[in-house]
Amino acid sequence: MTAMPDVLEHVEQAQAHELDQPYILIVWNDPVNLMSYVSFVFRSYFGYSEAKAEKLMMQVHQEGRSVVATGNREKIEADVTAMHGFGLWATLSKADAA
Amino acid sequence: MRGFSASLEAAERQLLRGLFEDVITLLEPEQVPDEDPLWAMVGLDPNGHKEDFAAPSDRATKRLLPDADPDDAAASLEFRRLSERGIRERKIGALREAALLMESGSILLNEQTAPRFAAAVNDVRLVLAERLGLESEEDAERIHAQDDWSKAETVDEYLALVYNFVTWLQESLMQAMLKSL
Repeated sequence: MTAMPDVLEHVEQAQAHELDQPYILIVWNDPVNLMSYVSFVFRSYFGYSEAKAEKLMMQVHQEGRSVVATGNREKIEADVTAMHGFGLWATLSKADAA
Repeated sequence: MRGFSASLEAAERQLLRGLFEDVITLLEPEQVPDEDPLWAMVGLDPNGHKEDFAAPSDRATKRLLPDADPDDAAASLEFRRLSERGIRERKIGALREAALLMESGSILLNEQTAPRFAAAVNDVRLVLAERLGLESEEDAERIHAQDDWSKAETVDEYLALVYNFVTWLQESLMQAMLKSL
C-alpha cells in the first residue's frame, strides 16, 4: 500500500492547466502537396464535410496557411503527428499567439 | 468490397519500388548497437536524451519531419523526442507495403491500404521535389511542363519526369479515393 504525498496534487493541477490551454493546428501551403490529397486528408482524418475540407484547402492554397483544428495541447500534438505522417506541413501554436 | 486497382508496366513498378526503397533508407533511424529494447517498445528515440539530439540535417528528411513549433525550438525538439521515431516507423511501414505492392502488375488497394499507399507516394514526391529544388509555384509549373522522355539529358531533367509520373499516379489515385468518401 502506498500513500500519495500531498505535494503531487499541486503539480498535477499545474500540468492540467497547461494542457487545457487552447492550441491551434496550422497547415501551411507548399508547392508539392496536391490539392486533392490535402482535401482527402482533411476529410478522412478530421471527418470534415466536403465543403469544409475544400474551404480549408483553398485557404491553405491561396492565403498560405489555414487553422485546421483547435483543441488542447495533447489533441493538437496528436494532430501534428498525424499530419506529418501524411506528409502535410503542419505546426502547432498557442491559440492567442496566432 | 470497395477498392481501387491500377495496372502499371514492369518498368514503372521497378522505378516506383526503387523510389519507395530510397525514402525508406532516408528515414531509417540510426542504429544504436546496444539499444535498450524498451526504447523501441515505447517508440522513443534512443538518442533523444543526448545533448546533440537535433532535427535531421538532410533537407529532404527535414521536409518529411518538419519542426512542430517553428517559434519554439525547445518545444520542437521535445516533440521530436516523443514523436519522431513513431512517425518515421509509420512512414517506413507504409513505404515497405507500397514497395511490396509493386511485385504484381495489377495493384489492388482497399479502403485501409489506399491512404497508406497515397502517403507513401506523397513522401516520394516530397523527397524528389526537395532534390529538384522545387520551392515555388513557378518551379512546380516549370517542372510540370517537362514531358518528353526522349529529350531528358541531365539528371534533373530525368528526375523532373520521374516526379511528374509519380504526381500523375497520385492524382489519379486521389480522384478515385475522393469519389469513394
